[in-house]
Amino acid sequence: MNENNQFYDNEYLPKQHKIGKLTGWTGLLICFAPALVLGFLYHLWPNPTALVTASVAALSSFLIIQIVEPISYYPLVGPVGTYMAFLSGNISNMRIPCASMAQISAEVEPGSHKGSIIAAIGMGVSVIINITVLTLGVIAGSSILAMLPETVISALNYVLPALFGALFIQFAVKQKKLAVIMLAICILLYIGINGGVFDFLPGARNYLGTLVSIFSAIAIGTALHKTPTKQSAE
Amino acid sequence: MNAMEIANSPAMWIACGLAVLLVIIQAVIFTRQAYKAGPKVGLTNTQLKKAVKSSALTAIGPSLVVLSGMLSLLITVGGPMAWMRLSFIGSVMFESIAAGIGTSTVGVELGVDPMTGSALTMAVWTMIIGSIGWIIIGTFSADKMDKVQSKISGGDPAKLAMISSAAIVGLFAGMTAQKLVTLNKNALACVLGGGIMAFLMYLSEKKNIAWLKDWNLTISIFAALMITALI
Repeated sequence: MNENNQFYDNEYLPKQHKIGKLTGWTGLLICFAPALVLGFLYHLWPNPTALVTASVAALSSFLIIQIVEPISYYPLVGPVGTYMAFLSGNISNMRIPCASMAQISAEVEPGSHKGSIIAAIGMGVSVIINITVLTLGVIAGSSILAMLPETVISALNYVLPALFGALFIQFAVKQKKLAVIMLAICILLYIGINGGVFDFLPGARNYLGTLVSIFSAIAIGTALHKTPTKQSAE
Repeated sequence: MNAMEIANSPAMWIACGLAVLLVIIQAVIFTRQAYKAGPKVGLTNTQLKKAVKSSALTAIGPSLVVLSGMLSLLITVGGPMAWMRLSFIGSVMFESIAAGIGTSTVGVELGVDPMTGSALTMAVWTMIIGSIGWIIIGTFSADKMDKVQSKISGGDPAKLAMISSAAIVGLFAGMTAQKLVTLNKNALACVLGGGIMAFLMYLSEKKNIAWLKDWNLTISIFAALMITALI
């Protein structure tokens, strides 16, 4: 066991951090490539005033979630998962479900070394499948939308609700008490968010749900864990 | 050249292709590294294979959702940007909002008015500037969070696992609640997904059907969306 920790901490992880930093910072530069092509090749540069207006508008909706997500999702995806998730996006709707399902079927604990490695595999596989599907889709173009029957297109809208419901149950059975409490809290929370209760916080609709649901679950989970009756029930 | 010809020009394909390529390279490297490291931390080959299989199965449904998002974005900002943006940071929801914010500053309503050169430029810049926070914070914090987390857990693996498991329950409770409060067909799909999952988990446990455990998520989602779409 000790030896495993040594390998993970002293060999595996430092190397992954190097790869993660290198690819992450490269990604930061490379994502400007299309904007630069528009500018240098087609002389299409943004009007500075419009750019400031648009950036402020986009950031006021999304800046807080960009700070909240890497911190909130870290306990779920580990260090390697963080590099991958935030380069590839689609985190809550694909990366985390895939990482979590990989952990479940490999029967490893999230947060452990094994869990972190399995999460990295799950996430990597999901990136490859995601991009393969998108690439085939973009080659086929919007003509495939026209080919699909109406029912299939409407059915696609229900994939994520069904996925979230199923995943919630998957994890709820292991921690029934926490799951019931959290579902109640989150339903109230979202009724409040949709009702505009938190609109005094700019962009709250985008980040408040994630922030409150994850951190209150950690707090309540810790509290329940300390109660000995809960311990024996597990 | 009109705006959409520029948006779909070979130069744009190359620029966007670079970003997509980077994401693929990173995923391949990390997956290989993790796969090789697996046996050294005590993971068996069976566990590694199961991880690949179940994440591949899980990825299919969400990938199709992202694909349909890309196809609608493609009409407004062109193939290359739609392809890149949905392979790279962001999410379906973020991209269309950001593109809309960008074009509206020059008086073009996304998906309604014809795209102009300046609106395309604004959409592209806004999608980029609006999303780099994720990559900056994620890349910067990944090695620091490790220390924060071990400080909070006091280096106790059991507590660490407890925190992660609670966080997962919290995340999916939140996602589920968000769908449930809509009280429309999304809520129905969510309840059906959960209900069928509960039944399949009970069945695979009781009758000890191993293959069902691998497939119960896929079956639940498929059955739930079929029923919801047909009602």
